[in-house]
Amino acid sequence: MRSFQTIAEFKAYRKSLLDAKDKGKPCLVICGGTGGQASGSNDLIRVIKRQILEQNLHDRLSLRITGCLGFCEMDPFIIVEPGYNLYPKLKMADVPRIVAAAVKGEVVEDLLYREPGSTVIRFSEQDIPFFQGQTRIVLGQNQRVDPIRIDDYLRIGGYAALEKALAGPDRGWIVEEILKSKLRGRGGAGFPTGKKWEMARGQRSPSGRKYVICNADEGDPGAYMDRSMLEGNPHLIIEGMIIAALAMEATHGIVYVRTEYPLAIKHATIAIREARRMGLLGKNILGQGFDFDIETFHGAGAFVCGEETALIKSIEGKMGEPRQRPPYPIVKGLFGCPTCINNVETLANVPYILSHGADAYLKIGAENNAGTKIFSLVGKIKNTGLVEVPLGTPIGKVVHEIGGGPSGTAKIKAIQTGGPSGGCIPASMFDLPIDYDSLAKAGSIMGSGGMIVMDQNTCMVDVAKYFMNFLQDESCGKCFTCRKGTQRLHEILEDITLGKGTPEHLVLLEELARTVKDTTMCGLGQTAANPVLSTLKYFREEYERHIVDKRCDAFVCKQLTGAPCQAACPVDTEPWRYVAMIERGDYEEAYRVIRSANPFPAVSARVCDRKCESRCTLGVSGGEAIAIRALKRFVTDRVKPSVYKPTPARKKRMKVAVIGAGPAGITAAHGLSLLGYGVTIFEAEDRPGGMLSCSLPAYRLPRDIVAREIKTLVNKNIKFEFGRVLGRDMTIHDLFVDKYDAVFLAFGAHESMRLDLKHEDVEGIYPSIEFLKAFNMRGEELARGHVGVIGGGNSAVDAARVALRQKDVTGVSLFYRRTREEMPAYEEEVEAALEEGVRIETLISPVKILARQEEIEAALREGVELETLVSPIRIHSRKGRLADIECIRNRLGDVDATGRRRPVPIPGSEFKVKLDTLIVAIGERPKSGFLANMGLEIDKGGRVRVNPKTLATNLRGVFAGGDLVTGPNTVIDAVAAGKKAAESIELYLRKQPLPRPARPKLPEVYIEPPQDPGSEGRTNRRAANPALTPAERIKNFREVEMTMPEKTAREESRRCLRCDLAFTAHKSADGAAPAAKEGEQHD
Amino acid sequence: MSSEEIEKIVSDYVERQGSIIAVLEAVQNRYRYLPEEALRIVARQTGRRLVDIYGVATFYKAFSLKPRGKHLISVCLGTACHVRGGQAIAEEFMSQLQIKAGETTPDGEITFETVNCLGACALGPTVVVDGHYYPHVTRSQVGGIIADALAGMERDDGAAGARLFPIHVSCPNCKRSLMDYDRRLDGHPSIACVIAYDGRKGRLGLSSLYGSRASEVELEVPMNEPCRFYCPHCHEEMPHYSNCVECGSPMAALYIRRGCAYEVCTSRGCPGHLLNLDQPNMK
Repeated sequence: MRSFQTIAEFKAYRKSLLDAKDKGKPCLVICGGTGGQASGSNDLIRVIKRQILEQNLHDRLSLRITGCLGFCEMDPFIIVEPGYNLYPKLKMADVPRIVAAAVKGEVVEDLLYREPGSTVIRFSEQDIPFFQGQTRIVLGQNQRVDPIRIDDYLRIGGYAALEKALAGPDRGWIVEEILKSKLRGRGGAGFPTGKKWEMARGQRSPSGRKYVICNADEGDPGAYMDRSMLEGNPHLIIEGMIIAALAMEATHGIVYVRTEYPLAIKHATIAIREARRMGLLGKNILGQGFDFDIETFHGAGAFVCGEETALIKSIEGKMGEPRQRPPYPIVKGLFGCPTCINNVETLANVPYILSHGADAYLKIGAENNAGTKIFSLVGKIKNTGLVEVPLGTPIGKVVHEIGGGPSGTAKIKAIQTGGPSGGCIPASMFDLPIDYDSLAKAGSIMGSGGMIVMDQNTCMVDVAKYFMNFLQDESCGKCFTCRKGTQRLHEILEDITLGKGTPEHLVLLEELARTVKDTTMCGLGQTAANPVLSTLKYFREEYERHIVDKRCDAFVCKQLTGAPCQAACPVDTEPWRYVAMIERGDYEEAYRVIRSANPFPAVSARVCDRKCESRCTLGVSGGEAIAIRALKRFVTDRVKPSVYKPTPARKKRMKVAVIGAGPAGITAAHGLSLLGYGVTIFEAEDRPGGMLSCSLPAYRLPRDIVAREIKTLVNKNIKFEFGRVLGRDMTIHDLFVDKYDAVFLAFGAHESMRLDLKHEDVEGIYPSIEFLKAFNMRGEELARGHVGVIGGGNSAVDAARVALRQKDVTGVSLFYRRTREEMPAYEEEVEAALEEGVRIETLISPVKILARQEEIEAALREGVELETLVSPIRIHSRKGRLADIECIRNRLGDVDATGRRRPVPIPGSEFKVKLDTLIVAIGERPKSGFLANMGLEIDKGGRVRVNPKTLATNLRGVFAGGDLVTGPNTVIDAVAAGKKAAESIELYLRKQPLPRPARPKLPEVYIEPPQDPGSEGRTNRRAANPALTPAERIKNFREVEMTMPEKTAREESRRCLRCDLAFTAHKSADGAAPAAKEGEQHD
Repeated sequence: MSSEEIEKIVSDYVERQGSIIAVLEAVQNRYRYLPEEALRIVARQTGRRLVDIYGVATFYKAFSLKPRGKHLISVCLGTACHVRGGQAIAEEFMSQLQIKAGETTPDGEITFETVNCLGACALGPTVVVDGHYYPHVTRSQVGGIIADALAGMERDDGAAGARLFPIHVSCPNCKRSLMDYDRRLDGHPSIACVIAYDGRKGRLGLSSLYGSRASEVELEVPMNEPCRFYCPHCHEEMPHYSNCVECGSPMAALYIRRGCAYEVCTSRGCPGHLLNLDQPNMK
């Protein structure tokens, strides 16, 4: 390698490189950074090299091994230049095809990038939303250089800014330019870099030494942009450092890298060596009479050393305790010499500013926040990776457009920025622009650029506890309030997560947090309270849930969760317990376990939405959840309900009226009857069951199952009055006059929402409830011909499938305004509907419904005014019938209040669909207007307002639950409401205070685990329930799902991880060892 | 471990005016922990009080005063890994290894620790075993990772054949083949060179399987000392075009074909090697 004595020689060398570069040769680019290597890129590189060597392709194809390219979610991936075709998540076996195609200038379509869930191929990097939303003035260069080859950096204009700086009029010019660019420190605090340099330039050093330190002690957990810059483009940082040194006449440079970054250390070391060899470092740089050299220093694992005075002490070989400022390091720093410390990313911006000019730089970003910032977008986000955006970009754009939204099905709740010094910003504030000042105002800080996305499965109390644990560990201990304060904060948070929290704890937390903030010396202590204060500010109700209700809704805090399957169940079933009983072959006991919690075992075994399975530890830790519902089905199909015989208490004198014989009403009546109360159930229809009978289709829930199950719940204390309707036949007041002591309202939500379009009432259009009821209760088949269904919920899908089974139907289309991913129906029901032949059209919303032209003409001939035709009543009276609907296509826009992206109509995309029947299934609401006249509080959606903990309404003695309170909801939630109502009503009748104090629901019964768990051969594959094939089930109402065979059920039950044992093992005969294990859980 | 050895490590650094932290790092790299003896020697040689050295050794997490296991398993508990369930992974390791974080198994095989952030946040939860990263770790993988650690990271997933492949090299000067068909390494003809150190010469056989580190040396060379590489036919020295990315020593360039070189680190014991498909000096 040549060493250069003059700028001219150096320039000539760069030119020779550019001339020699064989243009037009395709190049495979692959990340060899820490992330790429961890994902297996080394293997791909080997295969590429092998292909090139063995097929003698090195003249026709080049390979560039780069540092981090930012799209880490897709690692390992290859980008093929010049087309920038991106092949994500590759396997070794894919490589030969890519090599072969690249040589020929072709692409391998099936391996190219697609957005998750989409079939549209994105041919080029520029077409991918992740890259489109970014401005990569710094990070973008990583793709163009192999970090261990200085020539690559020179080819893209590297060190040209240094040439300019060296040749410039005077060195003060550099400082002027940086000042003008308004560059602010990217390490977090945002101090103007130009100002710092100006001060450093003005310092005289008695010893003649002046230091420039690059702070790459990137300690903020969740941030890795500095590592990626140093790993991927070390010469950029070195160039920035040399320019800084030149500007402030510094003599020595140090790159302070944390020891956890071995590859960054390696690449920085190589780069420094190469730069030195070329004459860019050392004595008389490029013959310009300027001496400067750089060495690396390895931080030894102390977070506080990111603080500049602590960092200096650590280089001096002391403990890294911060000291009081002033004097600032600029005046008196390393070994007493003036020292300027800049963050990696700050230095990485310097060459750009000098090359392009401060004016160009100022055009990027926002007022007083010029330029870009790199964020590490990580956590519960689809596209994890490094993103570089102009300052001032709204958080929402980064999270949803670039990041692609949540990684799973759970909604995004917050982002955390600024590491342990930062705070959490809730999703409701995602309009906030990302700049130093806005983030600080929101209670967080920019920090070094970690952006950790949190969803509903993240517990904010746990997050605060996590950071306090981090900080109590990393506090250097010099200031008492930081050392002890962080410990005490951690202890209080720990208590809250263990279920020992009290409301007073919250007051104490806030007071203590403010004390720590106000009374500590360095940045670590002053910001240590931010994680606590920001979560308290935005997520106080989560703290209260932990303290008052003893619940962790994210299922993170173990002592509040117990066995997740049990905690998830609205009716407190112990799935772990009956699964264990199935494993032991004791099916009757399994039935009793199920039945003791849930009066509707056979119904639930078919239509429960399985909250237990969604929380199964096996399912959330990399395996597939236990098929709990299928196991319940196995038990309920096999065991006679009579094995569970509750004995009703002696009959009491008090009476309760229950309105509505759906799952909520019957559950409440059953519970109260066992306590001895006389219960009368008033039901508008002619039979019990509510939605179970009238809405749920028989192929999912056979009618005899419903009837049989209800029969087991009725006893001599329960009386039915059918055909009796509240509001029509009696009032609440009448019930009290009739000597009822309490009333439970549970008559559901039976009013279909309307599209609010003209002609909505023409013939052939049915609200879904009406359509389903007509069929389920009266056997009427209302659908014929081509049927359209509008809506994306379960009732839409049910309606579509019922329609498909009716004899005059030729086809069914379902129209929904969002995409398949956002459909609120159960996933498997959608799958099943698709299998059966239902077409799903997404991103469509209907705009207007047209009555058939001939009919309009006929009406006109008969002398009717055209305007009157738009009146739905008139069309009905004229036998107007639906002909077609006109739809408009949507695109997904911003995220709305439900956390889903809003459908935005695309103008000009209207189209018509010819339909014979249209079923409107966009939701239901309670028919509850009359209740307001009886003095009940009703909300806008027609739902009755209750105290959620007791179900008590604003009227004394009147309780309400089920769909009437929540709007359309699941069967199991209705059953839960019934149970809660029975409990509350009993407390009310016994004149006891409501509600009972909450306590965590933890497993209590010890059941011995299988002696030979057979973990060796244990599979993670979930057992599937047998089901009818689409051909077998179409056009009939036979039940689709069947029971699994005994052998399958036993095997499935054996897969259970038995989360309960952590809580019950101390009750075993030889409980000593397991009890110790439980102790660990408490730590 | 001997006092002399420690003294030498320490004095090397003191001579080069390295900082205390770098000295301790060097000692720990050698012994995997900081023996008491070493702290005393560092204090003596640097003229600082033992209490200061002890303070530094205990302040920084990278240092351990207790002997550590042969293998190090680190579970990242950075925020990104934490929200993706890193804590459960750490608990699974502790339960399977039956030790707590920061402890070593009684047989001295494995030290387990949790770290605050490895900066591999996109891969979370991340586990690192002796420098090898495991991305997106789930609880069910934990047992396998421990097995890998004990086996020394020599994974055999059936893809080894695709990873290792034979190359043919010749002398860049005389262009005669360096392949030795009689002496085989890894079941393939070896690459024959002559190396010189300290005025003595000897034969060096290298595996011709790219990716394998197998070699045979007939000359005693102390570890980490650079040698000179010669052609056994024309006795010319192999050219150096670049430096080893691992240790910085010159790499000896062997010829594959125009523009393609196999570059091998000349330092004894260094694993650095590179299949350079774009070596302009070989054109």
